[in-house]
Amino acid sequence: MDNVSYQRFPTVRIRDIKDDVLKFELRDTDASIANALRRIMIAEVPTLAIDLVEIESNSSVLNDEFLAHRLGLIPIVSDRAMEMRLSRDCDACDGDGRCEYCSIEFHLSVKCTGDQTLDVTSLDLVSSDPSIIPVDAAGRAADMGGFESNDTRGILIVKLRKGQELKLRAIARKGIGKDHAKWSPAATVTFQYEPEIHINEALMETLTLEEKQEWIDSSPTKVFELDPVSQQVVVVDPEAYTYDEEVLKKAEAMGKPGLVEIYSKEDSFIFTVESTGAIKASQMFLNAIEILKSKLDAVRLSFDTEEADDQFGELGAHMRGGGI
Amino acid sequence: MKVMNAATFTVEREDHTVGNVIRMQLHRDPSVLFAGYRLPHPLQYRLVVKIQTTSQSSPMQAYNLAITDLIKELDHLKAVFEHETSQKQADYY
Repeated sequence: MDNVSYQRFPTVRIRDIKDDVLKFELRDTDASIANALRRIMIAEVPTLAIDLVEIESNSSVLNDEFLAHRLGLIPIVSDRAMEMRLSRDCDACDGDGRCEYCSIEFHLSVKCTGDQTLDVTSLDLVSSDPSIIPVDAAGRAADMGGFESNDTRGILIVKLRKGQELKLRAIARKGIGKDHAKWSPAATVTFQYEPEIHINEALMETLTLEEKQEWIDSSPTKVFELDPVSQQVVVVDPEAYTYDEEVLKKAEAMGKPGLVEIYSKEDSFIFTVESTGAIKASQMFLNAIEILKSKLDAVRLSFDTEEADDQFGELGAHMRGGGI
Repeated sequence: MKVMNAATFTVEREDHTVGNVIRMQLHRDPSVLFAGYRLPHPLQYRLVVKIQTTSQSSPMQAYNLAITDLIKELDHLKAVFEHETSQKQADYY
């Protein structure tokens, strides 16, 4: 058995890392891996979301299923989601939602008694496990003494008038985005190829100042700039280039084809990962890598297929003219 | 018409996410003459991978080698990413 390996050695350089936004560069790997990780982050990283709602009393203006739908879309802090079991795989419970291995229970009990309209928000959801709460509530708790903006008031579920009441029990389960978008932890995940721009200096010199400015302005995004000191065209932001070929067409229209050469580096990607807050953006990426590894492991050929390989070899030998 | 050292694998319950990754990795193997994948129908959740190799290797070996290399590459990626994040957190404080 030969010990060759055709693996690549990717490199990562993180540009900006915050709790819900992550921007980094991924190099020396193939586009298929970048795309696979993007697809998995959107559709197959598991999170928790409300899946079953038992309504005891609802006299609000929204009907029951409308409320259940809205409750399902509330993002829930899902750091434990990877270790939890899917409800259908759980053998410890009888499916009624009281099992701690596969579900978390929430209660909501609000009645409007005053004259003012009462806002029922995600902060009113009371969890059976204090570490697993809706995302905004987590932000509130962590942001002690922080800015008191509109964002920290919780996600609005419904508004109640005097005398209206809402009492329900909700069960959150683990799931993936492929099943229903409420389980997707990603707000947006994008990656772009890193562009490489070469300006033909010799040709650039033959343009007048106005022509240079006109050429720079023909690009919809700000990629180039005219340096006032040296009167040269410089690249100010290569990543703003959206692969429209306006500058190339303009150069041709001015009679100077080949003024600039732009091509994308095939193995260099710039990822922007934005999370809903259910999972930290960096944790989402790590989970995606784990999930891709387990998928590949699952589709590996089993041992008996490798043995059948030998039979194949014999068949080949037979057909090649050897044997009886 | 029998073709030497060629095999077709049907993978159930997978799609482009896994198919494209395996195909591109197979292309890197010099003993693989042909590697391709397709989804026979977009509404059915399965894929078909077709591999042909030289007599040096066999489709099964090439497939398993591709998967092993991919898992190694992902392990490396994970280690590099974790190292970078810990560095960044260290710079923060």
